[in-house]
Amino acid sequence: MRPTRLISLLAALAIVVAACGTGGGGSTTTTTGGDTTTTAEPSGSTSTTSGAPSGESIVVGGTLSLTGAFGATGNIHRIAGELFVERLNAAGGLLGRPVEWDLRDDESVTDNVATLYEQLISQEGVDLIIGPYATPNIQATMPIAERHGFVLPQHTAVLAPTLNYACQFPAWSIGFTPNEFIPNQLADAMESLGGIETAALVTNQSGSVSFVSYGRADVEEPAALEILPERGIEIVADIPYPPGNTEWDAIAAQIRSADPDLVMLNGLGVDANGLMEAMLALDGYLPPMMFALFPAPGPLLALAAEHDYGILSVSMFEPNDTVLEGLPAEAAEIAEEFAERAAAEGVPYTTFETQAAASWNAWEILVQGVEGAGSVDHEAICDYLHENGADLTFVGHVDFDPAKNNFWDTNQMLKQVQDGDWVVVWPEDRAAAPLRGPSN
Amino acid sequence: MSGASRHDRGWILILLLLAAVLVLPTVREALGSDVFPGFYLVLLFQILFWTAQATSWNLLSGFGGYFSFGQGAFYGVGAYAMAVVTGRQDGSWLVAILVGGVLAMVLALVVGTIAFRLRSLRGEIFALLTLALPFILLAVARLSDAIDGGQGVIVPVPEFPSFFDTFQDFVFVVGGLVAVLAVAVSYWMSRTRYGWALFAIHDDEDVAEAIGVPTFAHKMYAIALTGLLAGLAGAVNAMQVGFVTPEGTFNLRVPVMVIVMSVLGGRRHWAGPMVGAAYVTILQNRLQGGTLEGWSLIILGLVLAALVLLAPDGLMARFKRRRWLVAGIVVAVPVILDVTGLADDRVWAFAAGLGVAAIVGFLPVRKVAAVVRSVETAGSPVDESVAPIAEGRVVAETVEVRKHFGGLKAVDGVSVRVHEGEILGLVGPNGSGKTTLVNLVSGLLPVSDGTIRVNGTQTSGLRPHKIAHLGVARTYQIPRPFPSLTVRDNVAIAIMFGREPKSLSAAREEADEFLALVGLSHRAESLPGGINLHERQLLEMARAMATRPKLLLLDEALAGLNPVEIDNAVEVVRRIHRSGVSIVLVEHLLRVVNQLATRIVVLDQGHVLAAGAPSAVMTDPKVVGAYLGRRPDAAGL
Amino acid sequence: MEAVQAAVSGALQGSLFALMALGLSLTWGFLRVINLAHFGVILLGAYLTIELAGPTGLGPLGSLVVTVPALFVVGAVVHLLFDRFRVSELNSLLISYGFLIVIIQVVQNVWTADFQRLPGDVNPYATQSVRVGDLIFPLPTVMAALFATVLVMAMKFFLDRTYAGRALQAFGQDREIASAFGIDHRTLGLLLAGASGATAAMAGMLFTLRGTVTPDSALEWVGLVFAIVILGGIGNVSGTLWAGLLVGAVSGLVAIIWSPATSPLVVFTLVVLALLFRPQGLFRRKAAH
Repeated sequence: MRPTRLISLLAALAIVVAACGTGGGGSTTTTTGGDTTTTAEPSGSTSTTSGAPSGESIVVGGTLSLTGAFGATGNIHRIAGELFVERLNAAGGLLGRPVEWDLRDDESVTDNVATLYEQLISQEGVDLIIGPYATPNIQATMPIAERHGFVLPQHTAVLAPTLNYACQFPAWSIGFTPNEFIPNQLADAMESLGGIETAALVTNQSGSVSFVSYGRADVEEPAALEILPERGIEIVADIPYPPGNTEWDAIAAQIRSADPDLVMLNGLGVDANGLMEAMLALDGYLPPMMFALFPAPGPLLALAAEHDYGILSVSMFEPNDTVLEGLPAEAAEIAEEFAERAAAEGVPYTTFETQAAASWNAWEILVQGVEGAGSVDHEAICDYLHENGADLTFVGHVDFDPAKNNFWDTNQMLKQVQDGDWVVVWPEDRAAAPLRGPSN
Repeated sequence: MSGASRHDRGWILILLLLAAVLVLPTVREALGSDVFPGFYLVLLFQILFWTAQATSWNLLSGFGGYFSFGQGAFYGVGAYAMAVVTGRQDGSWLVAILVGGVLAMVLALVVGTIAFRLRSLRGEIFALLTLALPFILLAVARLSDAIDGGQGVIVPVPEFPSFFDTFQDFVFVVGGLVAVLAVAVSYWMSRTRYGWALFAIHDDEDVAEAIGVPTFAHKMYAIALTGLLAGLAGAVNAMQVGFVTPEGTFNLRVPVMVIVMSVLGGRRHWAGPMVGAAYVTILQNRLQGGTLEGWSLIILGLVLAALVLLAPDGLMARFKRRRWLVAGIVVAVPVILDVTGLADDRVWAFAAGLGVAAIVGFLPVRKVAAVVRSVETAGSPVDESVAPIAEGRVVAETVEVRKHFGGLKAVDGVSVRVHEGEILGLVGPNGSGKTTLVNLVSGLLPVSDGTIRVNGTQTSGLRPHKIAHLGVARTYQIPRPFPSLTVRDNVAIAIMFGREPKSLSAAREEADEFLALVGLSHRAESLPGGINLHERQLLEMARAMATRPKLLLLDEALAGLNPVEIDNAVEVVRRIHRSGVSIVLVEHLLRVVNQLATRIVVLDQGHVLAAGAPSAVMTDPKVVGAYLGRRPDAAGL
Repeated sequence: MEAVQAAVSGALQGSLFALMALGLSLTWGFLRVINLAHFGVILLGAYLTIELAGPTGLGPLGSLVVTVPALFVVGAVVHLLFDRFRVSELNSLLISYGFLIVIIQVVQNVWTADFQRLPGDVNPYATQSVRVGDLIFPLPTVMAALFATVLVMAMKFFLDRTYAGRALQAFGQDREIASAFGIDHRTLGLLLAGASGATAAMAGMLFTLRGTVTPDSALEWVGLVFAIVILGGIGNVSGTLWAGLLVGAVSGLVAIIWSPATSPLVVFTLVVLALLFRPQGLFRRKAAH
């Protein structure tokens, strides 16, 4: 019995090894002493090298959801971070020292996050930390950072009032009250079109988006449900659905019979694809206007473009020519390099956009804080950032006001699918193209 | 097997664990953060948290064999109690933990009351029932703004007692206390009737009832403790994590983790889940390093599959025979690696210790020759000198009893009395209703109509264990010993759950007397799988006698034996009868019935065909006809 | 009208989950193996469809020519292992969970963790519909219902009318008796596990007609699919289909009457009630005697 057991196991192992061998290309992680670090490697790209960094490495610790429910976006943040660290080292490192990124996989499990940050800080003795991806994970990291007095730049948690650690620095801001800002911005845009009088509000119950429809559960605060009617858009259907929803057909049927001028889908991931496909199956029905809050950009772009549908979403950065014009020259270069890397890994949608930009912002905030403080002393970094703010490649200058939990004035824009691309259309002064209304 | 000393050893280990939990924060402070980083405390907290979860799951599901996927629900109720009480209501952490534990226990009791009341409930169905539980609570948490509303709840850092240096010290100690409590409960149960009732339920629930185990009550105790401990641990963990979300709480991760841990560690041993928790937590932590990007789940999955394939009974079963060696390795390997500086990371050193221990566990064990303890029957528990009691008052009677399965009338109006001191032979062709009648009298099946009385007490509606306590014991046609208990413990468990409850050690001592009665003393240490059919049938009789019955129902206890074995068994039945027990002998073998029975009742197609003295009944033409398969004219009732 | 539309669309959607449940139910009922890896095999079916449909020009339906035999082999190989080690029902759950996470990681390594979908030009079905009177049904769900019905009927025929099928039923009820009758349960078991893999190929393909897939999708299916297996009765093929239709219809109705957020609550409460009152499954005929 024993030999056959061994043989079966070896056979299983061999199959797996063979399967893995075909994928996973493009990873830039290298190993030193049991830790994974991303170190300076001469990349094939065109980045300029100015003086090799020397001395002991500065180690930045962090986790990302590389597997599990948040894996799709978690890996976008990984690619962006790896690119950033490489460019940083190629450009002379930080304080003249090379930077290493000790990245761990939190498996999209919030319980793991706190343990791993504790491990990175107290056992691995990392010099700096950078936040994880996804709101629950960031919420779980904040107390650890606070306990150790570490500066925490974080990518994507936008519900400002709940993020009250003084040295937490958001890389993505929708202002202090996103629950008001997002519906108002959408209402502004709709007002400019005219004729938008009714809306269906469709909401994923996830904590990452539902506050935009209803506000927080335990606080009385205005959100889309109140704001849209105030702005003259009557809500004719209010449909909450659970994460992992399978009832798109029922929602689509309900929307079609309510016949709204606008569908505000406060959803995540591929929710917008599910709803659009279900509506299209109803004899090709699509509402005159539709907005999707935090969609996976690739699949939605593909579907909307196939049907030439001008769906709207939010954006902090899109590599549109007009947007890039207002930014440093590097911006375009970074976006291009990112796309090359993502393509090499086999990622289907390779555009450098909001998520990757948020990642870039977080790294820039950290690096500028350290450079400004002249050391990796966290108090000094935190003070420097409060006093001086940061200059972000993809956003411009931002100020961190502790009274607003460091949430800066938002640069949030609306983007629309136009002629097979995501195009910034709002606000008008930063638009790459005019907002298109319901044409057909 | 020195029961007492092992007993103490377990408690000493648990006290040591308790002491370690209490002093560790002080030790940590003394050592300083260079030697003992705060992370160790967090990692140890995680091991302790999973120890509490897995151990609590194991009470009902490991000991009792009722597989549950509802652990996430109990855990989640605890976590949300903490979140709502401290995060939304400004309550204290202590109140929150207690609320969490109690609410989870109440939920568990509700589940138990609904599920265990069902007669048709099979383990499989219970597992699936509990699978639905987290999904329901998930939807409720999302829909209710008072609980969550979908956005997650922040758990604030609580006001903790000032003698803790840091919050982490505090959470570690509280979490550690819950884990120690869980392990202590598990150990205590494994040494007392509460655990042994579950072992019996795990092996054969019907038999457990029949020997006097109140199975419903014991399942309820177990599920209540499972819920309580899971809720307490869930509440503490919510404090540690600081943020709870519905999807992060009510999912299948917790149940899958506790199942994996308990199975890897060993479900039968009180410490199994703890061992599993240590292995899985450390393995997972080591796999989270970025070095293994793209490999972590592959390694975890293969290790899991391989361990279950190679050690289906768990690591504890492997470690048992060499516990000192294993303990030595777990301590020595990390120390050596650390002192020599071979491992630059103590967690790796610790993981290496666990790994080496696991490998040692898989080395083949030198078989210790089984010590055959052949104790001669020095004294029998029954006084054989006493002559059979003259037939006297009625021990048990059935009055017009009927049992219908759909249209099938298995027993159709049978009235039979058993008198004190009698051996009543119950015969009849296949399908005549003999075994059904035994099942009705022992309470395994409810009657459709009619009355059964034992010692004057009507038994309809009583659970089988109550009937056992009234003095009815039975054996099974195909022997049904508890397969995971030794021969001695099979008997001892019947003594533990007799009319007068006894402790395990007392019951074990007494068990030897009953083994001697049936001549099975030399097999006391064997497992039922290792003895032959005849011995198993003798074991059935010893176990039945251990309940100290007034009426013993022997359901074809001699079937399939060779003539020598039959003679031996007949002798044992005589010995039992001489001790003053009335016997109903359900038998095919007319030779045996003739030899033993003082009176015979013949059943045919659910009716009493004839009754009376053996010689008269056996020559009755109706009986002869029934046995020859010819339909007697007179039977057309 | 809206309610009828929602109920029927829901039922059709439910047939896709019934198709996913079918393989699980078969191996559970007849081979006493709770094969969580089945969800991984469905995932492989979905990714292979995306990989093959466009570049090879086969289209999603054509890609079945490759995926059905390929996953038949995968299903059989997994079962070979269970059979070889005489794995108990419980341990099969744990081992197959191990395989499931291995498959998820392999899929991620090969196809990345990002969302993948069939492009519109390869998958014209996504937004097409079938009209019956005033009711409109999305074509992918109609296709799922057709596949599920045909497969269930074929399975039913095989199990009830062929010698091998009856042998399998005997084996599911009592292994020892079955082997006494000279049934080659090993070969039959492998064929059934292979067939279960083949249904996974179809379920995976049908999922991609209307869905966007990530490696994590496999775990999202578990709850609903298990609910359907339970409601249908373990090993009851037609029961599985009925259960899928029922769950889908109830879920759709609740979604339109209350809200989609209430659907899981109602569906899983239904599961609990069904288990309590019909533990043998909602659709099992009473035993013959």
